[in-house]
Amino acid sequence: MKALNLLIVFLTGALLIYGTLDMPDFGDPNSPASLHVSPEYLQNTIQDTATPNAVTSLLADYRGYDTMGETTVIFTAGIACILLLRTMRKE
Amino acid sequence: MKEHAPVLIVVFPIMFAFITPLLGWIRKSLCYPWVILALSLSTICSLITLEEVMTGGVIHYYLGSWLPPWGIEYVVDHLNAMMLVIVSGAALLVAIYSRRSIEAELPGKMVYFYTIFLLQTTGFLGIVVTGDMFNLYVFLEIASLAGYTLIAIGEDGAPLASFRYIIMGTVGACFYLLGVGYLYMVTGSLNMADLATIIPLISDSKVVLTAFAFFMAGIAIKMALFPLHVWLPDAYTRAPSTSSALIAPLMTKISVYVMIRIFFTVFKPSFTVDVLPATDILLWLGTIAIFGGAIMALAQTDFKRMLCYIVVAEVGYMVGGIGVANSIAMQGAVLHLLNDAVMTLGLFIVAGIVTYQMKGHLLSDFNALFRKMPLTMVTFVVVALSVIGVPPTCGFFSKWYLLQGGIMAGAWGFVVALLLSSLINIILFFRIFELGYVFQSDGSHHDHGHGGFIHEAPASMLLPSVVVALGILAIGIYNQVIINNIITYVIPKF
Amino acid sequence: MIELIAGKYNYWIYIILMMIGFYAMIGKRNMVKKVIGMNIFQTSIILFYISIAFKKGATLPIIRETADHVAAAVEVSQYINPLPHVLMLTAIVVMVATLGVAIAILILIYRRYGTLEEDEILKKVKS
Repeated sequence: MKALNLLIVFLTGALLIYGTLDMPDFGDPNSPASLHVSPEYLQNTIQDTATPNAVTSLLADYRGYDTMGETTVIFTAGIACILLLRTMRKE
Repeated sequence: MKEHAPVLIVVFPIMFAFITPLLGWIRKSLCYPWVILALSLSTICSLITLEEVMTGGVIHYYLGSWLPPWGIEYVVDHLNAMMLVIVSGAALLVAIYSRRSIEAELPGKMVYFYTIFLLQTTGFLGIVVTGDMFNLYVFLEIASLAGYTLIAIGEDGAPLASFRYIIMGTVGACFYLLGVGYLYMVTGSLNMADLATIIPLISDSKVVLTAFAFFMAGIAIKMALFPLHVWLPDAYTRAPSTSSALIAPLMTKISVYVMIRIFFTVFKPSFTVDVLPATDILLWLGTIAIFGGAIMALAQTDFKRMLCYIVVAEVGYMVGGIGVANSIAMQGAVLHLLNDAVMTLGLFIVAGIVTYQMKGHLLSDFNALFRKMPLTMVTFVVVALSVIGVPPTCGFFSKWYLLQGGIMAGAWGFVVALLLSSLINIILFFRIFELGYVFQSDGSHHDHGHGGFIHEAPASMLLPSVVVALGILAIGIYNQVIINNIITYVIPKF
Repeated sequence: MIELIAGKYNYWIYIILMMIGFYAMIGKRNMVKKVIGMNIFQTSIILFYISIAFKKGATLPIIRETADHVAAAVEVSQYINPLPHVLMLTAIVVMVATLGVAIAILILIYRRYGTLEEDEILKKVKS
């Protein structure tokens, strides 16, 4: 069993490392991730949202819907803990 | 208001879910109508969206009015619209069915149960309607967390089943997130349509291949594709009847939908079929899943567990149909998405009714049930015939298209698996019919003491079951209409 | 070869960390160790994403502005990429929520079986 688990882990790790061979280098300012969508965020954040912090304006404005989803995740986890752990008195 | 319909589908359940605990604190009995109201509004919005897509083509909705790819967008095309109606309709039917079942199985937990119920539906709807990869991950996690909870409050052994589901489900979601990260690294975008234009330019990159492999692995875990299905039988058997009636018809089909989205919209068919032998792998895995699921179902003595293995086999139908990679099989696979959701919903609602009446869900609990609950058993017979594949129920037509597609492509293993599993389904269900018709007057301990008198299920549980049976017949009779108006636009050009 | 390692070493370190967590999730028999492995796995994915965002010599993505909310001219390569950080803020929250629900379920299991070792529980269930 242990051998099977080790095999799965090695295969997954090898596949992941194989995938990194074509990746942009660490800290490359010309990588596609830095050139495609995010320059507009940095350039437009002041005029669109009047917020100098680009991470804040992304989190709350451009991708605010994801933040609502994240709040819902926390709410779900809280209600889940009540549902799972609270021993209800017999009504 | 109509142009906001795509987002209202998701907003109604979320907002109503936030208010449900407050409402339950005021008065507990208000929760049930509140949930029905939320899901009815959501279903109405899905129907409005479906009608708009059928008349006007693909809908693009920009959340916060930020243009993609800088903002999140909702893209509703024909496949989406059909899935939205399925998900919200199924959730509404389960909600109508749920009240008696929750009173019997989870006394005193009704308020928080309904909150998580609404959140689970939100998660499902959010996965189906979005056009952004990371937004899909967020809603996938909402749906997963709610699912872990809904399963863990069941009967003895449920927390253990739910824990195994947590471990495997988290691995699946994390693989999906890794795939999104790898793709982001070489494209810079998270928007599905944007990725579809960029990926063909870099399609020989090792990063893209790895991302594809991780998407496939992650979604296969969520989809319970053989051999990663091991979490499914325990989890759905031990869950409360309402939870399994909500999650079983929807979770696996939504994962198949996500697979279709990623394989054919984000990565174009030319990549999926030619660059990688992905569809061949899917065909083999689907065939093995059908064999495995059907054979394991034969060995079960617990009705719900048997249904779980039928679900595993049905996923094999869809995945194999996608793997055959021609238009007719794809048509069959997408029609089977619709059919299987409805059939599984019917099966699990019947299982829940039997659990409610007989306080158990073993096969032996079906003893003489045809005399005691005639109407429920009639609906059960209709659903069972659909799973077997008897015309004019809908199950026949999707199997017919899958068979046609398999024969045309020469996928003989898949064809044999389809036919064999129909035979095995006949054995499985006719075993139950036989048990149900035998009348034993010795008063077994599961009997309520009513002997041979009719003791039908309560109306709130019977109504969804009847609606599902009528729906199966209607979809079967009108399947050509559905195919011409919706499914033809879904099939990618191979 | 040296440029390969120098350019990719961060990804490789995080992948090794991921695999340690993954092995703990699937290989260990104690359920608490599985949950800890899950946490390590998800944390290393978060670190992986953050390392995508880095640019050599760049600073935090807070744009300097003049007095009346007009930005100084923005040189994009001076600021790190903000998008992966935002995605990972959400992923951290999801990770914590999943951890909470997993531990709540572990409490339920402990109340019922009295142990958190998978093989002992399987023996109790079978008997």
